[in-house]
Amino acid sequence: MPWLLLAPALAITTVLVLVPAAQTIWMSFHDVVLFWPRSRPFIGFANYLTAFADPVFWEGLLSSVIWVVVSVGLQFSVGLAAALLLNRRFAWRGLARALIVVPWALPSVIIGLVWTWMLDFNLGLVNELGMRLGLLAQPIPWLSQPGTAFAAVIMAVVWQGFPFFAVTLLAGLQSIPGELYEAASLDGASGIKKFYHVTLPGIAGVMTTALLLRMIWVANSLDLILVMTGGGPGTATQTLPLHAFLTAWSGGNYGQGSALAVVLTLLLLGVVVAYLIRSERA
Amino acid sequence: MKFTRRTILAGATAAAIPLAAPHAQKPATVRWWYHFDDPKATPDALVAGFEKQNPGIRIQAESIPWGGGGDYDTRLYTALIAGSGPDAAMVKFQNMPRLLEMEALAPLDRFIDAWTAKSDISDDLWKLHMAPNGKRYYLPLQYVVLYLYLRPDWFAQKGLPLPTSFDRFLAAAQAFTMAERWGFGLRGGSGGHDFWASFVLGGGATLEKGGLVTPAAFAANKWFIDLHRTYHVTPPSAPTDGFLQTINNMKAGRTAMTIHHIGSANDMVAALGDNITAIPIPRGPQGDGWTTYGDGSNAVFAASRNQEAAWKWIAYLSTGETNTAFAKASAQLPVTTSSLAAWDAQPKRFIQASAESLPIARVLPATTQTADFTRTVWPQTTQKALLGQISPDDMMKVFDKLYFG
Repeated sequence: MPWLLLAPALAITTVLVLVPAAQTIWMSFHDVVLFWPRSRPFIGFANYLTAFADPVFWEGLLSSVIWVVVSVGLQFSVGLAAALLLNRRFAWRGLARALIVVPWALPSVIIGLVWTWMLDFNLGLVNELGMRLGLLAQPIPWLSQPGTAFAAVIMAVVWQGFPFFAVTLLAGLQSIPGELYEAASLDGASGIKKFYHVTLPGIAGVMTTALLLRMIWVANSLDLILVMTGGGPGTATQTLPLHAFLTAWSGGNYGQGSALAVVLTLLLLGVVVAYLIRSERA
Repeated sequence: MKFTRRTILAGATAAAIPLAAPHAQKPATVRWWYHFDDPKATPDALVAGFEKQNPGIRIQAESIPWGGGGDYDTRLYTALIAGSGPDAAMVKFQNMPRLLEMEALAPLDRFIDAWTAKSDISDDLWKLHMAPNGKRYYLPLQYVVLYLYLRPDWFAQKGLPLPTSFDRFLAAAQAFTMAERWGFGLRGGSGGHDFWASFVLGGGATLEKGGLVTPAAFAANKWFIDLHRTYHVTPPSAPTDGFLQTINNMKAGRTAMTIHHIGSANDMVAALGDNITAIPIPRGPQGDGWTTYGDGSNAVFAASRNQEAAWKWIAYLSTGETNTAFAKASAQLPVTTSSLAAWDAQPKRFIQASAESLPIARVLPATTQTADFTRTVWPQTTQKALLGQISPDDMMKVFDKLYFG
């Protein structure tokens, strides 16, 4: 009976996850090029060796590490600050809690386009405001310089992702019993001490789960970068998933693209295992 | 069982269907993929006109996002491989090698040879559309030739001649560059390979073995990169500027010159009136020149079960008045001689600039390398050179390696 009840979910998982995953592994060991549909010879680890010999792979790996660490770190920091703020009592708090979800609810492509045009060198709002307020001496080509382009895409993903942390951590904050704060106050604890000894331990579980989940999502995501810079200028913002996507989709080399995807999956496996252990304990 | 008037009528109708079926022929549906630069443009009127003339054929026109060309191509290739491709589609020369590798194209020779309107398309165009194996898979539909947009009022104010050589072009670009205004709107993003080809292939490099790494080729490429790196006559955003940025900068009076084709002429005139004109792209130091011939054709696919119906549809679009109507919708030039003779969809100066550019109009070689070159290798490598991350010579060596190993 339990298997019967599980069957629909297992069938869907098999079709949508296991079969494509197996197909990706199979393609990574074959020379699968879109334009040669009749020839898909087995080539062993050749796709992997080609990927490792390509400097773009190592650039992409470094970009991916920066992308995940910086953007998730910032999202968490801003999200935590927002959650602490939203946990206080103030007028229109309900409205603020509803509005903060807006960036999270918007599609990534829309967010990418909005930020692209806001940061546009000639017509962008950011340059216009910066110049009018005297913050910028001259307009900056934000998306045309490697450093600022990377900063720009990170800023966009932070804007998109911090509400996830804000809402999740807010739920964690609300589950901390008020008596703990009262007891800390009676013991003469300052605001900072309360934060470190009551708040942080109280939301540690939610925080770890949210961080692990978001790391996996951000490490896999490419839509925002694709829309805003396409991986450029040059390959300055080309993270590993974007490199895999461009190799498979634009280059038609599905074998090579699959090898890159498998490498990315193996790299992420550590985070996934940590998440699974955490889920088991919870 | 109770028989009402309604059940009797329903029963009679059901009984009549099998009797009527042999007489009602099911129309053949032709799925056709297209793309117009202007998302508001539509081929609906042409479809209606064709279906009226051909009651046995229904056209299912599907607008496919362009995405700099790359998205359209990949969608087409994957749909064909998956067996869900259209019967016919708009295609370009650069697609031909890959479509031939995939054995996806249906030869059109038997249709073209029997086509009465064949003589309304010039022999030059037929030759240009011939596949390397001598067969004809593409039916010419429309074309554009890239030219140089410029501001005649600014040239008059400075007393400068319109640039016909690279030296004059650079001198003018430098003269017009000042605070928040630049001499040349360079496109370093997707699609910018046409800009590069105009100056580097037009300045001494060739796409033959060794032709990209000669001293003349290196010099031409360095000159091109120096427009941004050394002379600073292009906007700082040039390394990633695409179609919208270069056109909008020109319309906003931020650049004095840029490269595009007649497709944007009416838009330019709407923004700048008489203060915008076009001339052929300047010629290189050896007097050579290069501009991109932007082809537009239709092809029928080998997997189609409605090849004859698909041919009728694409032939309709390349015939006389309907070719005129199509080119007006797509804002490009018609391929039929009769349409071109009466063409008035854009101001004459832009038609003239297109015609005068034809002697130097070329296409990149129809090889699989060209597809990689235009889609990924050119933008990534050129952006690195424009940002000073690699030298102009190394940039040319990357291209040489791609094309010739």
